[in-house]
Amino acid sequence: MEEKLKTSVTKFHDRYYKLLLLIPAIMLLLSFIYMGVFYSKNGDFVKRDISLTGGTSVTIYEKISVEKVQADLSDKLEDVEVREISDLITKEQKAVIIETKSDADLTRKVLEEYLGHTLTAENSSFEFTGSSLSNSFFKQLVIAVIIAFILMAIVVFILFRTFVPSMAVILSAFADIFMTLTTFNLLGLKLSSAGIVAFLMLIGYSVDTDILLTNRVLRRQGHSLNRKIWEAFKTGLTMTLVSIVAVAFAFIVVGSFSAVLTQIFTIILIGLGFDIFNTWVTNASIIKWYVLKLKKNEPKI
Amino acid sequence: MNLKFSFRIWLLIILLIFSLLSIYSFPPTFLKNGVKITSVEANSTAFNSGLRQGQIIKFIDGVQIKNLQDFSTAIEGKFPSNESKKTIFTTEDSEIIYFSNETPNMIVSEISKSNLKLGLDLVGGARALVKAEGVQLSKSAAADLVSVTSNRLNEFGLTDLKVRQVSDLEGNNFMLIEIAGATPKDLEDMVSQQGKFEAKIGNQTVFIGGKDKDIASVCRGDQTCARVESPLQTQEGYAAKFSFEITLSGDAAKRHAEITKNLGINSTTQGRYLNETLDLYLDDKLVDTLLIGESLKGRVTTQVSVSGSGAGTTKEEAVKSAEENMHKLQTILITGSLPYKLEIVKLDTISPVLGKEFTRIILIAGLLALVSASLVVFVRYRKIKASLALILTSFSEIVIILGVAALIEWNLDLPSIAGILATIGTGFDDQIVLLDEANHEKFLNLKQRLKRAFAIIIGAYFTAAVSMLPLLWAGAGLLKGFAFTTLIGITAGVFITRPAFSDMIKRMEEGDTSS
Repeated sequence: MEEKLKTSVTKFHDRYYKLLLLIPAIMLLLSFIYMGVFYSKNGDFVKRDISLTGGTSVTIYEKISVEKVQADLSDKLEDVEVREISDLITKEQKAVIIETKSDADLTRKVLEEYLGHTLTAENSSFEFTGSSLSNSFFKQLVIAVIIAFILMAIVVFILFRTFVPSMAVILSAFADIFMTLTTFNLLGLKLSSAGIVAFLMLIGYSVDTDILLTNRVLRRQGHSLNRKIWEAFKTGLTMTLVSIVAVAFAFIVVGSFSAVLTQIFTIILIGLGFDIFNTWVTNASIIKWYVLKLKKNEPKI
Repeated sequence: MNLKFSFRIWLLIILLIFSLLSIYSFPPTFLKNGVKITSVEANSTAFNSGLRQGQIIKFIDGVQIKNLQDFSTAIEGKFPSNESKKTIFTTEDSEIIYFSNETPNMIVSEISKSNLKLGLDLVGGARALVKAEGVQLSKSAAADLVSVTSNRLNEFGLTDLKVRQVSDLEGNNFMLIEIAGATPKDLEDMVSQQGKFEAKIGNQTVFIGGKDKDIASVCRGDQTCARVESPLQTQEGYAAKFSFEITLSGDAAKRHAEITKNLGINSTTQGRYLNETLDLYLDDKLVDTLLIGESLKGRVTTQVSVSGSGAGTTKEEAVKSAEENMHKLQTILITGSLPYKLEIVKLDTISPVLGKEFTRIILIAGLLALVSASLVVFVRYRKIKASLALILTSFSEIVIILGVAALIEWNLDLPSIAGILATIGTGFDDQIVLLDEANHEKFLNLKQRLKRAFAIIIGAYFTAAVSMLPLLWAGAGLLKGFAFTTLIGITAGVFITRPAFSDMIKRMEEGDTSS
């Protein structure tokens, strides 16, 4: 069965691989347009949560109706958002998380008045970040991602020492991150500092399969180009699927419990999905084109 | 079955044993009973009886103490009482007799089950990131702030705290204060208000720290005006004298002359001093008392030499103690005269309530991720041994990361745990490459095939490693944990566990072909 599938896929690929490149090109273009519109509307390329804009996050270990708190507090505190934390198995509510752009003192005062009792270190957690610090955090983390990307690109160039294959790896990693960011915005999510770390992780994850593909195609002797790509595809797909399954399970478990880990896992899941696409459509087509062209230009004896 | 392991598998086994030892010590901490003293109020009866921080109480009056509950039962049954009672605390290596009618002034906690240190976001506690308002702190100014503040907080009786200097990518210097466990109520005030420093003779104030700038400068780290003399032998061992100079403002110098003018003189074996002492108060608490040399009586002088001493059983100890005392005194004198206001830019107080629950959830998540991934591998390759080896390898990577973390006392916070999960992820990737390479291109020998696999793995390793580096500095290092655990994990993975995994496959494959 595998042989049959392989021949039909290879046949299709041989005919259309250049045309296939149009899909990522169009997707990238659409992403750019969307991000351009998004930027002009919001003045930033992503919406940030309070860990990156400054504000207070309060966790109160009580059963409180999320909707009610949200409605009651929205005129007293700035930009209130309320979530709940519930037990994994019983689904019983364990706590509420209230996030606001107001500072810790005001938030505490408003909440204590609202609840009718004091908030102590036992029944609540407060996390306050000043806005100047958050802004500088955001700037630095974005710089960290850019530096990480550049360092990754340098390593890729050192690894393969040829321009087109290296650029193909870097391009598909870039497409990966950019498309993930676009999807993140499309979903209306707000980025936290942990989320930026997830993008850093994505750099590492997304080049894994690209390196595998490039290495197999350029370094292996013997087999036909199509066979090399096919074998790499099988290995690479297993790799990514295993990661997706593992992350998906972790995502379900952590789900309602930790916003930090949930966001990390969400971004990685989206990114891994795009990684399959960018490695096996974008990168595979470019490297095939490159190798075939190289062969054509070789002096025939 | 052939039990001849390759060198790489042995290396993995040895490293695993070391990691487990580092996490659990030997004999394992989880087998220990008793409660640990986390702090003892200085100069209390408990302290004077010999109870000290770090001791492990195993018996009280011969009754075994297994946990906190046993401890409170034993203590609450006896104290407070109307008459003084004798209580015998048996620690690991001594018996301490406590005689009082008051509850011993100390805090105890359960013995931790391992040497792992969990971060504030898991065990609860408080964290404050502080910077100077409106001015850019230099590295040395931040270091001063750190030593001044930790001294102050220690005066408040907060001992389980860490104050350190952190800087970020933009070159800002901050002070980071972390307090594990309980959150002190007025932490904010304690941090943001500067210490009030006063020096008095009798009840007259000679000079104060702060805005008026009575103290123009304090000499530190300069051998010409701050030094420790070579120790002299005493009856108990050795004693070393230190002295350093401070510069007073003109006003303070005049005040000093005015107050000392009418004092009498005492003659001691060490020299002649005025009959009143100079008392140093920090936040209205007496922190030190200094003798005033005879020559200073009624003199207007801006250069004042402050001296004191340190003692120890050896010469080195005496010098060290003198240096410590000098440093403490210098810090106190600088306190309250910081030339800037402090601003708390980040303040987190985290309740310990959800910590345990959280740890449990993370463990379940990690375990499920591991099992599900190996199931996928099993479905794909139909090799039960390989799937088990894959779990084993990922598991060893986690143990090694935790071992290193326990060894260097790293605080495992949420970012660190996310980093461990990331490592498992890349671990799977590499192991699948190894499995696949081992199965392909049969015309090459197995060794060559696995060597090829490592070309891919090393490439992936370096890209992942370099992408973590900027995180070590960005954002005042608050997300450093992620980079740390990822780097340890993938490094151990690429150089130790994954090569061992490749050897395991080799043995399995060779076993399969020979049978």
